Amino acid sequence: MSNASPDRDGGARERLQRWLPKLVLSPSCVLVLFFVYGFIAWTSYISFSDSGMMPDYTWVGLHQWSRLWTSWTWGIALHNIWVFGLLYIVSCIVLGLVLAILLDQRIRAEGVLRTIYLYPMALSFIVTGTAWQWFLNPGLGLEKTMHDLGWQSFSFNWLIDSNMAIYTVVIAAVWQATGFVMAMFLAGLRGIDGEMIKAAQIDGAPAWKIYARIIIPQLRPVFMSAVVVLAHLAIKSFDLIVAMTGGGPGNATAVPATFMYSYAFSRNEMGIAAASAVFMLAVIAALIIPYLYSELREPRS
Amino acid sequence: MSFLHINNVHKRFGETHVLKGIDISIEQGDFLVLVGPSGCGKSTLLNMIAGLDSISEGELLLDGRCINDVHPSRRDIAMVFQSYALYPSMTVAGNIGFGLEMRKVPRKERREAVDRVAKLLQIENLLDRKPGQLSGGQRQRVAMGRALVRDPQLFLFDEPLSNLDAKLRVDMRTEIKQLHQRLGTTIVYVTHDQIEAMTLASRIAVMRGGELQQLGTPQAVYDDPNNLFVAGFMGSPSMNLIEARIVERDGVPVAQAIAGDTTLTLPIVRDRQALRDWCDRDVIIGLRPEAITDPASANHREGNIHEAELPVELVEPTGADLYVVTSLGGAHINARMRPGTPLRPGERARFAFDVSRMVVFDPETEGRIRDERTADVGDVLETA
Repeated sequence: MSNASPDRDGGARERLQRWLPKLVLSPSCVLVLFFVYGFIAWTSYISFSDSGMMPDYTWVGLHQWSRLWTSWTWGIALHNIWVFGLLYIVSCIVLGLVLAILLDQRIRAEGVLRTIYLYPMALSFIVTGTAWQWFLNPGLGLEKTMHDLGWQSFSFNWLIDSNMAIYTVVIAAVWQATGFVMAMFLAGLRGIDGEMIKAAQIDGAPAWKIYARIIIPQLRPVFMSAVVVLAHLAIKSFDLIVAMTGGGPGNATAVPATFMYSYAFSRNEMGIAAASAVFMLAVIAALIIPYLYSELREPRS
Repeated sequence: MSFLHINNVHKRFGETHVLKGIDISIEQGDFLVLVGPSGCGKSTLLNMIAGLDSISEGELLLDGRCINDVHPSRRDIAMVFQSYALYPSMTVAGNIGFGLEMRKVPRKERREAVDRVAKLLQIENLLDRKPGQLSGGQRQRVAMGRALVRDPQLFLFDEPLSNLDAKLRVDMRTEIKQLHQRLGTTIVYVTHDQIEAMTLASRIAVMRGGELQQLGTPQAVYDDPNNLFVAGFMGSPSMNLIEARIVERDGVPVAQAIAGDTTLTLPIVRDRQALRDWCDRDVIIGLRPEAITDPASANHREGNIHEAELPVELVEPTGADLYVVTSLGGAHINARMRPGTPLRPGERARFAFDVSRMVVFDPETEGRIRDERTADVGDVLETA
């Protein structure tokens, strides 16, 4: 047996207990610090440097940033992200809310339907993009099927129309995220006091007015969460567009993420790519930080 | 024809039979309290009156009109919920006026009605606030305001005080009673609190397991319970229920209970006719704590006081009263005595039993053993 006094033994164990969590967590802390925050700092520096194909640490000030903002393709990318983001967020919320309200009518097969609506979220964007590309491809999918069925005049060629291609991306993205938004709204609807709805019935409010005046105003936190989640998904959308349109036809469906990728890895303009990446980070941070702040602050009040 | 008439109403949820034929009628201006333990079906019955639950069988008449299939908003009723169910996105004024707004009452009239009710409930200064900014008692008032503003034929209250703290509950209880007296409205009120039921009601309906146990005035339900359940449920501290035996002495039945090493014999005053048939059989006798007291406090004028000496087991002073515990028929019983009665545990003391208040139950059926209905106990069980 050890001769160490119980006092000293206990002290050592106590010290180990105090340090163990820190020891266990520190490697991942170091890794995150280096690979996430370290590379954010590095990318930010690169955006102020003369980097082209390879990193070049010569400081050029705002040169790359001014090139970014005068770039024609960046303009298209920004326009597209606006159109895409707005349509995506609004459609997901409207469809998600409608589906949630319909599912909330105590229907029999709710569990099955809920799972069906939620499944697209389980797919990766690459799979969604590829599937929708096949489906909307005039030579393979919907249009060809309709022609084969005998509807020769049917035409749906948005995927290859540079004015309409961005909307096909919206369709695929909405298909994927609506179920998730529905689940959020459904959870919100289930949290509403049933007595309140009874009270409104006795007050003589028809069903649509109960929703418009009493239930939906109470879902405001869900709307907030949905907008923030969808907005950052929209800005991050890269794989879906790469899989579906590759940013084309031409630059018609370019978004900041695909812009950044092509400038960094195919056009050898690492500086501009870094500037666009930092810009995207700033926009997402502007959305997420206030949201997290308000969410994490809530329990205290 | 009574004002609200509940005629043989049943409720079934699938296989479960929740309400098994309820018959209640009340007059205009009555304050009916449905009371019973949780799961007795009282809230279901209230929801059926409101139209929020369908009626499986039976008939519901309000002011002579069958309202079985009338939509809640067209029944001319208003309801106050346990959770208050205020609309959180609207102001207090918006909450109170919502029902009028849905009925397309013009804005000006609506405003006047809201102001009138707010004044009645003393919440004028809260009209622009949101429910989230109100205290429990204030929310309760707003919920009542929302019901009052429409001036309906019938008010329904679903355990409205159970979310308030004890002090506030007593205050609000008084206010509800005052409001009822001032406005003369007809109210159906659900609670599991028998004190609330006693203090508020003009008629009490005691329910258990989906069946009506007794319907009557609070005093009738208290003094003349139909069965062991009503006797034990109403009153706090509850009625003493003592195992006893009926025997014949000098041609009249008396009750005998074991008190330690002796036997206590109590003469029978009430229901003597019915109890003649129970000689040499076991029964349960019920005596309220206030019917067992010290000889000095007892009301000797009626000549129904029977004194006996029993051991004191425990003394519980409450300030207003002194509860003395002794044992009788193998159970602890509570006697209510004057505060300051000099008693110590272990002593023997004289107890005065007011046998005119004694009720006797059949231990098998748990029903009351009583004479044919006489005029003074009238009002006991009303079947339509």
